[in-house]
Amino acid sequence: MSTATPILYVVLGTIFGYILSRSGAADYDYIQGMFLFERFQLYGIIGTAVVLTAPVLWLVRRRGRTLGGAPIRIERKLLHRGNIVGGALFGIGWSIAGMCPGPVLVNIGEGKVYAVAALAGALAGTALFGRLYTVLQGPLRLPPIVAGTGEG
Amino acid sequence: MPLLLHGLAPIHWAAAGAGISGVTLALVFLANKRLGISTGFEDVCSLVLRTPYFARNAIVRGRTWRLPFLSGLVLGGVLSAVLSGGWQPTWALGMLDARLHLSHGAKLAWMFTGGLFIGLGTRMAGGCTSGHGIFGLSNFEWPSLVSTISFMIGGIVTTQLLYRVLLP
Repeated sequence: MSTATPILYVVLGTIFGYILSRSGAADYDYIQGMFLFERFQLYGIIGTAVVLTAPVLWLVRRRGRTLGGAPIRIERKLLHRGNIVGGALFGIGWSIAGMCPGPVLVNIGEGKVYAVAALAGALAGTALFGRLYTVLQGPLRLPPIVAGTGEG
Repeated sequence: MPLLLHGLAPIHWAAAGAGISGVTLALVFLANKRLGISTGFEDVCSLVLRTPYFARNAIVRGRTWRLPFLSGLVLGGVLSAVLSGGWQPTWALGMLDARLHLSHGAKLAWMFTGGLFIGLGTRMAGGCTSGHGIFGLSNFEWPSLVSTISFMIGGIVTTQLLYRVLLP
């Protein structure tokens, strides 16, 4: 397994956060502009990231090893009704707050005070989901509790 | 259009997309990790809640990398503000401010509500823009395509309703 240190993750997170901050991905107006089809910026960012990442991951799935030599193991997610219902709920939240999970944290860093409330809400929503998991499991056909809905 | 942050011009979308791809691939090659932010919310919950859902192996073990990664996101925001004109607290909300004159308390309530949907929705869907939209789509995963289409529709409908119907 990996021998990477927490410092590496802090550094990668910082680079990611800096890019989100400067590209408009953590900007209320750019998010609304995307959903209003008035701004291409966010479509361009996500599209470029996917187009550049996909071929490398495709190769990795065939013969990938990490720099440390360990075989690359990427867990795949399971399909369930939560993808649709949860996806729609998240979309509503993304529109209301003008931020998705990464930018919630980036905006707190930038000094946007209201983002702290978005984080509090997100943690409360997550806690609520965890508490309700066994109730939602049947109707949403969610995976067994040990698997969860997927890491992402 | 300038960013809310110090009125900066944003970096080009292609450069931003390439940078995000670089971080995604670095996580894979250096550490065997799949990019994903919203699971980090479960990691945080697992620190304080004893609910069985948060005691899963994937969550407890994931804390050692996701929590540092998430703190990096906050740091990235701090760094971005400091390097572009200084860090200062702000309540600015652009388009929303132009339509509604919300008090600070009302903005907190607005954002908490949005956050509730974000937390509940991302965990129900098993991922967010990063885990599904970037990593999952790049990895050709069906659940990610379904989730991405769902959250784009959810966002488009809500914003169109808000800015074209309710607050035109």
